[in-house]
Amino acid sequence: MTNDNLNKLLVFCVLFCAQKTSIVHGAQALETKVALLLHAEPENPKCFAEGMSDLTCFWEEDEERTGSADQYSFIYTYQNENSSECSITALPAAGGKRLYFCRLSQTQLFVPLDIRVFRDDLLIHNRSLFIELVFLLDPPANLTLTSTGTQGQLKASWLPPSLKYMGDSMMYEVSYAMAGSHIGKVEEVQASSELILRGLQSGTKYKVRIRVKLDGISYSGYWSAWTDPVLMETMPGDLDPLIVSLSLIISLVLTLLSLLVLMSHRRFLLKKIWPIIPTPESKFQGLFKVYGGDFQEWLGHSTGGLWLRPAYFYSEEFPAPLEVLSEVSLGPALPSSALPPKASEALGEEDEDEKLKRVDSALEGWRETPQEHWPMDQLRAIHQHPAPWTQSSLLESHDAYVTLNAQNHSGEELLDDILEETLPLQVLFASGRTSSESRSDLGSFQQSSGLGRLSSQSSFEYPNHTWPPKGPGYTYMAVADSGVSMDYSPMSSSKIDDIGKGVIYTNEYKNEIPAHRRPIGTPIPFAF
Amino acid sequence: SKSELDFITHLIEKPSYWLEWWAGRGLPSPVRPICDPRVLDRFIMEARDTETALRGCKAGCGVTGTFVVPLTNVDFVVWETKDTEEQALEVQSGMSLFGQALGAVRESVSRVAVQILIDNNKSNIHSLGQVLRSLHIQDLPLPPAPAVGDLVTRKVSSLSELLHVHTNFLRGKVRLLLTNAPACQQNST
Repeated sequence: MTNDNLNKLLVFCVLFCAQKTSIVHGAQALETKVALLLHAEPENPKCFAEGMSDLTCFWEEDEERTGSADQYSFIYTYQNENSSECSITALPAAGGKRLYFCRLSQTQLFVPLDIRVFRDDLLIHNRSLFIELVFLLDPPANLTLTSTGTQGQLKASWLPPSLKYMGDSMMYEVSYAMAGSHIGKVEEVQASSELILRGLQSGTKYKVRIRVKLDGISYSGYWSAWTDPVLMETMPGDLDPLIVSLSLIISLVLTLLSLLVLMSHRRFLLKKIWPIIPTPESKFQGLFKVYGGDFQEWLGHSTGGLWLRPAYFYSEEFPAPLEVLSEVSLGPALPSSALPPKASEALGEEDEDEKLKRVDSALEGWRETPQEHWPMDQLRAIHQHPAPWTQSSLLESHDAYVTLNAQNHSGEELLDDILEETLPLQVLFASGRTSSESRSDLGSFQQSSGLGRLSSQSSFEYPNHTWPPKGPGYTYMAVADSGVSMDYSPMSSSKIDDIGKGVIYTNEYKNEIPAHRRPIGTPIPFAF
Repeated sequence: SKSELDFITHLIEKPSYWLEWWAGRGLPSPVRPICDPRVLDRFIMEARDTETALRGCKAGCGVTGTFVVPLTNVDFVVWETKDTEEQALEVQSGMSLFGQALGAVRESVSRVAVQILIDNNKSNIHSLGQVLRSLHIQDLPLPPAPAVGDLVTRKVSSLSELLHVHTNFLRGKVRLLLTNAPACQQNST
């Protein structure tokens, strides 16, 4: 017994709870529909049908006019039938207003229905309608989104309202938009329970909702409320093969272009990135690799390289025996001490010969300038006619000739003498004679401090103006001082007759004073 | 088959074809039932258009007299209690009443435009008869038997009201019968 009672109680509770839930749901749905109709229907009373055999009508009254439900009467009349009355219920609404409802549970369609509402015998509302034309359905249920397997597509499916005879008269409106966006699209579909949404973006979340309405041919009504939105993400997009191939081609073209630009400017770029440090190795073959920079040794051993490139010799500082003839044409006022006598020592003949050979062959390209002819002519004359010098046979200018011979003179005093040599010369040859602005292409005479092997001989040493020839093979330089500039002309004693054909070269002597004295015989560093 | 397709196409596009068929031009009767709701929907829309067009007709377009029309109201609860034959009887008797009324109207109107519209509706009624026949719904002989009774009829006195009732009848009872015909229930699953 107790069990039966308990079971009954349990069943009752379940049913009650279910009803309560459904009542709550129904109340919510009613509230939504009322709000919809208040917005959509201008006439009063507002009526809607939810199913095949019902009709709900309501109207709203302001606060000041509200009264009890008993004050109102709802009279409805079908065509060719007698009138009937509907019972009214009142419900509170927002803003202090009241809603009065009338609900019919048995209706006739496809026939006009007259409705009249009275308040205290006063007709307040009058309306004629067809019930099949005022349907307001519940939103479709079970809206689901699925993937169709194709990119940019989603399939929406739903459950149509369960109304008999009206399935093929229903039309749906599907609204879809990207999640978070307010701009969406709407698609209509008739008498169907699914729709494929196309043209969607890949890999994007979409929000879809749907509402239903009867199509208006046989049945009609208002748009239902929207369903709750359903979210679904579309399939992730594959790379469009066309886009992939185009981007590959473009990147390839750009790479080729950049390579072409790089290759065409590679020298410039290499210079910037990896600047070439110039080395003199190319001009001195074997100097650094074989002789470790010992120029003296290299000079003694290298043969072929020098003769092949005579043009470079003009800038090279090769020590060579040099004889500069100096002529003093000034008076006895000249202090003899100003000109330090230089002891001249002849080199070993073997050195002389070797050097002469080198010198001769190197100066094949040497050419005479007209300006330099006159001291050479004088010298030629001197050599051909070795007569004591007289003032008249010599140049009228105060020419001085200095002989420089390479010698193994030890001692620092020679270096000092060499360094100071230019000074007394300048003092000695100061004159007012105008000079012919002839520049010798032999270059300027600069003394190298390291030329320990050179000796100088001045014509002052021979007051009788006798200039003993040094023998065959000597190369000497004629210095012609015009008082303003000094011209130096290389000469060879052995080939004085062939001065034009002789190969004589000039050196550039740097008149530099070293920080420390170099011992004689050490390699001479050349600065380029 | 092609002949059936041609028949259906003609039924939809050229209702006057039915008149020719009715005269017995020897075309085979359709075997397959016509269950497409769009067929009836087109008739309904044309009836509505006619009603709208002739609503503003002055002096009832010159139409006088009263016409017997069927009742159009449908109570679903009551309707579902009736079987198909009873429903079919209601529909067919109603259609015949409308046919008669429209025939009488056709004779009394003088305007050509009104005549064309009335003729169209009359041909639609005939086409509907064919559709019902295709659904194996037996046809009633014209005119309707008096046994139908006045319970299901009433009288109207204007053309606009006649057309209005005609539209309601098509939307209601005729449609319900067609969409729920047993012959169409197998196809609509």
